[in-house]
Amino acid sequence: MNFDYTDEQEAFRREIREWYEENLPDGWIDGERDLPDDEDEREQFLREWQRKLHEGGWAAIHWPEEYGGRDASLMQQLIYQQEKARVNPPPERSEIGVDLVGPAIEGFGTEEQKERYLPKILSGEELWCIGYSEPDVGSDLASLQCKAVDEGDHFRINGQKIWTTHAHKADWCYMFTRTDNSGPKHHGITALIVDMDQEGVTTDRIRQITDEREFNQVYFDDATTPKENVLNEVDEGWEVAMRQLSFERISLSQSLDLERRFDELVEFCKNETRGGTPLVEDPHVREKLAEFDTRIQAAKLTYFRNVSKQMNGDLGAEASFGKLYDSEIAADLHRFRVKLGGPKAALWGDDSPNGAAKDSLANISIRIGGGTSDIQRNIIGERVLGLPKGDQE
Amino acid sequence: MDFTLSDEQTQMQESVRDYLESEGGIELARRQMDGEDVVGEVWDGLAEMDYPALSVPLEYGGLGDDLLYLSLLFEEAGRVALPGPLPETLGFTVPLLAELGTDEQKGQFLPAIADGDLRASVALYDDATESLPEAIRMEAEPTDDGYRLDGTKTLVPYAESVDRVVVPARTRQDTGYGGITLFFVDPAAAEAEQLDTLDKTRPLYELTFDGVEVSGARLGPVDGGGDALERAIDRLNVSMCAMLVGGADEAVDRSVEYGKQREQFDKPIGQFQAVKHRIADMWLDTEAARSLTYYAAWAIANDEEDARRAVSAATAYCTEHCGELFEDDIFNHGATGYTWDHDGHIFLKQAKTWANLLGSPTEHRRRIADIRL
Repeated sequence: MNFDYTDEQEAFRREIREWYEENLPDGWIDGERDLPDDEDEREQFLREWQRKLHEGGWAAIHWPEEYGGRDASLMQQLIYQQEKARVNPPPERSEIGVDLVGPAIEGFGTEEQKERYLPKILSGEELWCIGYSEPDVGSDLASLQCKAVDEGDHFRINGQKIWTTHAHKADWCYMFTRTDNSGPKHHGITALIVDMDQEGVTTDRIRQITDEREFNQVYFDDATTPKENVLNEVDEGWEVAMRQLSFERISLSQSLDLERRFDELVEFCKNETRGGTPLVEDPHVREKLAEFDTRIQAAKLTYFRNVSKQMNGDLGAEASFGKLYDSEIAADLHRFRVKLGGPKAALWGDDSPNGAAKDSLANISIRIGGGTSDIQRNIIGERVLGLPKGDQE
Repeated sequence: MDFTLSDEQTQMQESVRDYLESEGGIELARRQMDGEDVVGEVWDGLAEMDYPALSVPLEYGGLGDDLLYLSLLFEEAGRVALPGPLPETLGFTVPLLAELGTDEQKGQFLPAIADGDLRASVALYDDATESLPEAIRMEAEPTDDGYRLDGTKTLVPYAESVDRVVVPARTRQDTGYGGITLFFVDPAAAEAEQLDTLDKTRPLYELTFDGVEVSGARLGPVDGGGDALERAIDRLNVSMCAMLVGGADEAVDRSVEYGKQREQFDKPIGQFQAVKHRIADMWLDTEAARSLTYYAAWAIANDEEDARRAVSAATAYCTEHCGELFEDDIFNHGATGYTWDHDGHIFLKQAKTWANLLGSPTEHRRRIADIRL
């Protein structure tokens, strides 16, 4: 066991650090610059950032080199994430494509599909959404209803998807459809690539509790996609969906990001006073902060333990740890921030103390998206600990 | 960066586990609870396998391993709530002797510990209502050829089954860990009275020193033993954390097994989300506690800058969360869990005892805050 980094690893860290210093928008590192409020300007800003990332070779370091990645080792990915957590760069416009779609195409796609789609994911030229959820089909993917009917050289798609992030901006949808209803419900699901820019596809943006509109309902009304857009075999989409987990970047731990948020909160407590005394001197606040520090350390150390196991070729049960553990800490941390805000916590937007109000709401979605905390507990109970499966499966 | 155990470490841990199981596992704890003193028997067995030699330096006949290695041993000991002053002797006393002892003291005591011939404990508290280090009050008066100890120490683990006790006393009026001098004394010189304790596997005693003259018993500098004592208490905390992690791992296993077997409403109860989710949360806390403990052990062994914070983080987390986890294990077993026959209470009582013995979670969080904020 050791917590040192080799010279080579430190050199890699310096390379990222220097690249960020040169390429992050002016004032970003010092926190003087934020994303533009105006939607079009923000879109322009994010496209520009994605283009820079791609040119710098940082758009998808875990992808193979032949598809524009760096073949990055787990250790390099970890260092990249550490540096990312440190500077908190603008979000990646192609994140969904890079993390979820690209690896699926790489794993199951034909050579033609790989050549056609992968480069444009990296460059941010084409934006993707994922047609996973449907109304009444949340965590139970196998009961999806959206139909794709074989019409010779193409499929005709009818049905509805929901909670589809960025569908209103997406060029393509990577979606799961029902192609056969006769067998067991896991069979007869087909993964398709569908052009969003066609008459049969309409999107309806959903207003979230944060007042943002990132996700959508998507209606497929006689939409079509050619046969060559099937990913894997017809009726064999379940395999694609299940392998999805193993495609993800080394477990998407938020723990490094939590550390930065914690430091920000400490700063806030040093600067904010109540009755002339800085919050950080209040014994209750001190104890709560120490408790968060401990939980975040536990999250980070378990994340390190997991990455180390993966490096030694063992996936490790700890891989199931991060999403649930980290999002519970994040939820508590944001609730505490709101409490510390005092009466001013009644305000929204820039007047909200430390941006707490919006963040605390946004955090609720972390406990829902990508499999709710309840589903994570089922996964741990059943797959890690071997408890009997519930009625639903 | 590599946060994995080596093959050698994993193998050591597996062999300890097999050995303790073959010796009766948790039955040893039950026999101790029933009033039998199994410490000698446990110790002889451990000595045959060379475990007491683990942390003793090579030049004194030991294996020279660090606190991380020891923690793996403690983890297995904790899995069966093994009675005996294992943390006190190996986690606390050995490194303290190695750090402060004269050549003569080291030559006398360390090989004896390595051979399994000497066990040790620690007498910290003069006042069980006060926190450390304020609870250390006993004054030691210099005499012609040593010191005279006068007063009563309480909450002394295993005082009647050990050969030496580390006794911190004040030789200068001071606060905190200042003005403390350490003595390594034979508890037979004091009068021992066993206390009625919550955790019957780990007996605690009151030791009354009635003008006891000790010579050659001073360990380390006059007035200056406090820093080393604080570090030794840190190591003792990590040792106990490791035992709690082992117990927690065992509790998760027990809850899982029961969840698979016990049927209600024609289903195994582990199929119900309420039960499944509680066990999943127990597992999360066990993994978190384990990460914090391994890291704290490693940080101490490597003199890392954040070692003190790491120890307090592990201690606050393990004592609090493992305590709740042991309650959940009992709860998962329903009324059966509430019986003396079920093993759940053995782990719970240990955790409850340790939660305040070397600083409460609140005190440890205060220490973290002082370091971090």
